Amino acid sequence: MVKFLLNRLAMMLLTMLCASFLVFAVCEYTPGSVARKSLGPFATQQQVDLLTAKLKANDPLVVRYGRWLGVLVGAIPDPLQDPSTGLNFKDPRGSQYFGNFGYSTLNKLPVNDVIWNRLGNTAILAGLAFLLIVPLSIIFGILSGLKEGGPLDRTLSVICITFTSIPEFASGVFLVTLFVILWPILPGTSPLNSDGGWAIPYQFVLPVAVLVIYDFGYVARMIRVSMIAVMERPYIRTAVLKGMSTRRVILGHALRNAMIAPFTVLLLQINFLISGVVVTELVFAYPGFGRLILEASLFGDISTLEAATLITVAIAVVTQLLGDLGYMLLDPRIRVR
Amino acid sequence: MDTDEHPYIPTLIADLTSRGISRRDFLRKATLLGMSAAAAYSLAGISEPSVARAEDMPKGGNLRIGMRCMEIKDPHLADFAEKSNVIRQVCEYLTLTDRNNITHPYLLEKWQVSDDLKTWTLHIRKDVKWRKGGKALTADDVVWNLKRVCDPAIGSSMLGLFTGYLVQEYDGGEKDDKGNPKKSSKLWADNAIEKVDDATVRLNCFAPQIAVPEHLYHYPMFILDPAENGAFGADANGTGPFEIVEYTVGKGAKYKARSDYWGTGPYLDTFEYVDLGDNPGAGIAAVASRQVDGLSEADAVQVNAMKNFPHVAVYKVETTQTVVARMHPDAEQFKDKRVRQAMRYAIDREKIIQTSLLGAGTPAEDHHVAPSHPEYAALAKYPRDIEKAKKLLADAGYPEGFEFDMVTRPDPIWELNTAQVLAEQFKDIGVTINIKSLPSAQYWEVWTTAPFSLTAWGHRPLAIMTLSLAYRSNAAWNESHYSNAEFDQLLTQAEGILDPKERSKVMAKIEAIMQDDGPIVQPFWRIFSTVMDKKVKGFELHPSQYIFAHQYAIAA
Repeated sequence: MVKFLLNRLAMMLLTMLCASFLVFAVCEYTPGSVARKSLGPFATQQQVDLLTAKLKANDPLVVRYGRWLGVLVGAIPDPLQDPSTGLNFKDPRGSQYFGNFGYSTLNKLPVNDVIWNRLGNTAILAGLAFLLIVPLSIIFGILSGLKEGGPLDRTLSVICITFTSIPEFASGVFLVTLFVILWPILPGTSPLNSDGGWAIPYQFVLPVAVLVIYDFGYVARMIRVSMIAVMERPYIRTAVLKGMSTRRVILGHALRNAMIAPFTVLLLQINFLISGVVVTELVFAYPGFGRLILEASLFGDISTLEAATLITVAIAVVTQLLGDLGYMLLDPRIRVR
Repeated sequence: MDTDEHPYIPTLIADLTSRGISRRDFLRKATLLGMSAAAAYSLAGISEPSVARAEDMPKGGNLRIGMRCMEIKDPHLADFAEKSNVIRQVCEYLTLTDRNNITHPYLLEKWQVSDDLKTWTLHIRKDVKWRKGGKALTADDVVWNLKRVCDPAIGSSMLGLFTGYLVQEYDGGEKDDKGNPKKSSKLWADNAIEKVDDATVRLNCFAPQIAVPEHLYHYPMFILDPAENGAFGADANGTGPFEIVEYTVGKGAKYKARSDYWGTGPYLDTFEYVDLGDNPGAGIAAVASRQVDGLSEADAVQVNAMKNFPHVAVYKVETTQTVVARMHPDAEQFKDKRVRQAMRYAIDREKIIQTSLLGAGTPAEDHHVAPSHPEYAALAKYPRDIEKAKKLLADAGYPEGFEFDMVTRPDPIWELNTAQVLAEQFKDIGVTINIKSLPSAQYWEVWTTAPFSLTAWGHRPLAIMTLSLAYRSNAAWNESHYSNAEFDQLLTQAEGILDPKERSKVMAKIEAIMQDDGPIVQPFWRIFSTVMDKKVKGFELHPSQYIFAHQYAIAA
């Protein structure tokens, strides 16, 4: 078991290294220099060259990647924080410590001051959505998987497919029109402060609703397929034939087996909810992680982008690990000995 | 009457009496020549537009306006109205051009100009205090600011405006990549910007320039505290009505009213900008649920969605804000001026206004001078003429038309819509335009280098300001690479002519050059609009999208 975990940890580090290098390489080939974006359209070429030199953005890709890695693990101090550059970058944690994600050129703050707050906001949004998606999709999936092609299955399938096929921006606009403009009981944006006169809990209703509407139908369809397959297995027929109540057949025999495959799908939703909610965040002006990644990538703010990449990779790998552990719990046959 | 009165003022008064010039023109000229706005209004026989009276304004409260909060590097580099709006509540200008295009003294008490329009004496108000330290604003502060924007290393767009009368270009001996000499800029003389005494600064120009007071209100021309050396952020010093307590890119800005502000107001206790992101729907939703009291700008689509909200008032103002589809005359296809003419004949202006602005615009005439500009000279208008356009193209060697990429940006959405309608209309003369829509950040990378692009230009009170920024050879913002010696010479001439009638004769020549040879297709002038909650008092929509929070109040 320890070996298994260590193995996984090593894989995670390797994935992070590859992903972070890829982001560096891709940024290299996107048009527009950071200096130009930072100085705006009307700066002179002379100024752009000056800032490029200060940011050390002219060094070869590998050198800059190595430097970034060194700063991250705390092996070297962040050269951009050197007062001699005149950039005025100051990190209260110091310039050399483990986990130094560097300085955000977009926000003019250490990445660590920007990213965790935003990640926390998105985690709350994602968590609330996940809490609703799991039970809803399980109930819908099981009910429609019980009797394939029955009236209940047909009805629930129509609901699930319809909801899943409405894009987030469309359902966002529908919900705003209904509950903000026509029947004003909810706030239309979610800045996560109550300065605008709406308590924060109200501000979560619509974004969470949009995510749940978009996502639960898809997961329910996965559970349904798995449920149908399980319901056709001989041991279910045996259980029914020996006179067991339907309730006990489902809860005692079918459910656990039907959940094995969808378990991965459910955990994958965590990744989607953390990094893929950018549309929902834009519609509701939600100060989340997705919007931060979007803005950072448009601006070419590589430090923020790298930090975001590492965090999303870590989340993906951890949810995968949880998935594997969950499999073991659900299915004794794949437990490692 | 003031003994320092400019000698041309009696002529202006005579012209006004004989109806030789319009009242509006009189107001503008007389105030530019240093007459106080109150005196000018009373001579023109109209009352000054009712500025809401201080004692009638409700006091206290917090006002929240939805606006993008972008990265700010240096106030003297401010390149968007939104950025200047963030700084405007904290730092101030020497002059102020109001929504009626009349320029007033702001941090100045008054200005005086010599007969030849070359010497401008600026008298600084003596009651202006910096927030930090309580020092008075001095001539040294003003001189530092004026000199700083003239330093090419700072990169302020003020340099382009000052070029031609305060700043001269010279060959610094350096060469660019292609071996062409690199031009650099410097003040034309050591005493170009001169401190006379602690409260007086003199601009000694080498060429006459009538628009100096308006240039001093160009949006990067903030008067900053020299001690902060161009830095801006929370707690930045300023002479303005508010203290900025928080500024977060992508989130918003918070301000606290100053109790010792030298001018009238502020009436609010606190003021805020809320960044609602790039999605226009978020602005509507935030206004609907009263999370903001208004927006800095609402386009026609947003206004249509919000005009029926019972708590919302819609504001509109005609502007000289526009988009130009500008062609590089150094690109192969656009080299021949007949091609550029053909592009102008190809478009149906009314249709573009209806389609992309939902009617919120007035037709433009391809010379970037608006009817509301005082120097506007009316030329014969030309309608869409496909046959003529096709013939011009054929004569220029493109009987089958050609294909070209046009660079634009996706937001504001009316810009992209305009690009699409233009592309449709160009198709009718055989020119296939592929729209390359770049995210704003990347768009601003290539805005001067793309051979064909659609560019938005902000409102300016005088046409000569835009013409000099955008079309004078080698000007800072000459994105169209236009270079025409005759045009440059006429423009310099126009900048020095005081008599509106005489000036408009030169302007007619300039406009004709633009229509015949110029680099732009200009479909419309935009009508600018926004929304505010009805409880917001004292709000007036400025055609440059400027926010003056110290004039606004909130009714309980």
